Amino acid sequence: MSVRWFLAMVLGLVAVVAGQGCRHAAPTDERVVVVDFWNGFSGPDGAQMEKIVHRFNQEHEGRIRVNMQIIPWGTFYDKVTLGLAFGGAPEVFVIHVNRFPEYAHHGVLGPLDDLATRDELDREDFVEAAWEASIWEGRLRALPLDCHPLGLYYNLDLFEDAGIANPPQTYDEFMDAAKKLTRDNDGDGRPDQWGFAFTWLHSNSLCFLNQFGAGLLDDKLETSGLDTPQASQAMERMLDIIRAGVAPPPEGQDAWLGFQTGKVAMALEGVYMMTSLVEQKGLRFAAAPVPQFGPRKAVWAGTHLLAMPDGLDQSRREAAWTFMTYLSENSLGWAEGGQVPVRKSVLNSPGFRRLQVQSQFAKQLDHVVYEPRSIHSNLIATFGDSAFEAILNGLQPPEKALATASRRIDNRLRKR
Amino acid sequence: MTRNDGRAAFWFLLPYLTLFAVFLVGPLAYGFWISLHDWHVLGKEVPFVGFDNYAAALGDDLFHIALARTAYFVLLTVPAGNALSLLVAVGLNQRYRATTLFKVCFYVPVVLSIAVTAVLWRWLLSSESGLINHYLGTRVQWLGSPTWAMPSLALMTLWWGLGGNMLVYLAALRNVPKEQLEAASLDGASPWQRFWAVTWPSIGPATLFCLIMSVIASSQVFGQTFILTNGGPADSTLTVVLYMYRQGFGMYQLGYASAVAYLLFFLVLALSAIQIRLMARTLRSR
Repeated sequence: MSVRWFLAMVLGLVAVVAGQGCRHAAPTDERVVVVDFWNGFSGPDGAQMEKIVHRFNQEHEGRIRVNMQIIPWGTFYDKVTLGLAFGGAPEVFVIHVNRFPEYAHHGVLGPLDDLATRDELDREDFVEAAWEASIWEGRLRALPLDCHPLGLYYNLDLFEDAGIANPPQTYDEFMDAAKKLTRDNDGDGRPDQWGFAFTWLHSNSLCFLNQFGAGLLDDKLETSGLDTPQASQAMERMLDIIRAGVAPPPEGQDAWLGFQTGKVAMALEGVYMMTSLVEQKGLRFAAAPVPQFGPRKAVWAGTHLLAMPDGLDQSRREAAWTFMTYLSENSLGWAEGGQVPVRKSVLNSPGFRRLQVQSQFAKQLDHVVYEPRSIHSNLIATFGDSAFEAILNGLQPPEKALATASRRIDNRLRKR
Repeated sequence: MTRNDGRAAFWFLLPYLTLFAVFLVGPLAYGFWISLHDWHVLGKEVPFVGFDNYAAALGDDLFHIALARTAYFVLLTVPAGNALSLLVAVGLNQRYRATTLFKVCFYVPVVLSIAVTAVLWRWLLSSESGLINHYLGTRVQWLGSPTWAMPSLALMTLWWGLGGNMLVYLAALRNVPKEQLEAASLDGASPWQRFWAVTWPSIGPATLFCLIMSVIASSQVFGQTFILTNGGPADSTLTVVLYMYRQGFGMYQLGYASAVAYLLFFLVLALSAIQIRLMARTLRSR
């Protein structure tokens, strides 16, 4: 092959590739505003979101086109953060409520107050906690999409076998049920059916802490909230459940798999885990509000917020806002995939009331507790998690582990 | 070398030096610069803080834990890994059929990415359905227990990295003077004596190379713990690079993360220098 031929081929190839690129980049119609939408919904929730986006695109054909990109949560924030720092961020992205302060603090989230006021967005229609969580230094910086509190999942067949009619509501009822549900069928001295199991130590522990009036930080967000008698009491109560022999130590257990396969009768998990149970063949389950383990009613929760970067041009900003409010108004479809919406109009709709599991979770909306509104929240959580893990696996007594975590948290907070 | 030779050499080296400067020296220097600042990815301002980040890292007990766990991993993998690689290399250096097949088999894991290796070993190490527990007849939580997690990661790393050093040792074994081995046999030396008196001294430089490279590689252990245990349980597999990663990509504190990277760099540099010193002395004294 001559050099000339070779060059011609290379050039041809370049032309083809470049042509593909152009075709992709150029919108078919100049008036169509393209909105990139990033989220981390890599499970069944992604398919649900895809449907809503598809409907939006149909209804807004010729005006707005949303390109949804799913990036698994593991790398999601890296991508969004780098996009926000150096360009390339999408017009709309999802952000968890516990990560919101970090981004809002750095001023990278576009303010939405003017748009909300202009469109007379009724803030009374939003669950208060979620709405408040979207405000930073007096300005609306995001729009809450949902709320995902913990709840009690329980196995209906195992409950029937044990002769328990209703899900437990108090600690005593819970322990009573858990004892009846724990069984050693093969007589090897080790239960092969557990009454309860701790699944995600992070959310489970925070839920107990909140019920005892403790949290990762104190109310002023200035010092650790783990170095308190209430925090120790909360951890002791969790340990009591393990010590009573009705829950396995969490070490190396896939507790959720245990619940899915009927080896665990009760578990505290988020509403978003519902779909993984629906798909499980032969499992009959139901959900209920988290029992009250401590002196007060409280339940750990997260929320997905919709945000746009600061400094979008007017047309893209408008299009992004249109899409965000559309998602918010049409959050029933989103709820079907295992979420609790935060629009009261949706919560009170017959469509939502028909969703049995989600409605049980929604009963807790007035006492949900988010993680501390601190810009260090993400780091502080890792200190707490290490302590919870050490305590529940019996590696360290609660006071010692909590003191270590507190020292680390306070160190971090002192550095500005 | 004439002046013209020097000029020619310069032009030949230029492409490499350019890439070296752009992709290695530049980023290294920039990284050091970042480490002197309070540098959040999203920060509008990045105040200069001198060596504060270094002081903060050195004063952080989690960093101390990470250092200790990394040292433990190095101790678990480097001596055993090198001994194994050498053993396998000596075994494969004999003349029998299918040695090439075995060489390939031992080398294949090196070609696998750590992600693939880790997923593979997750199945092997699974406490409920893993092959290792199945054959041992045990129910050990290999990755779920603070005692066993690090040794399990070390075991996996031994399997994964065996082939790399094995190749170096094999090449070195090929260069052991045959005359000396024959002379030793004629003098009635046992195989063991021949190995210690002839083979071992002549593969000294290869051993030094392998030791240094494995200390460097093991000090930077990341993928294993990131994928399989994420530092847990209870920080028992928190390594320095994982600590750095969390600071850099969990908290986006690039200044702090760069400082940690530089601390690790100096540490590994010092370790390598000590090894070279010690080994050079041993080699000379022979």
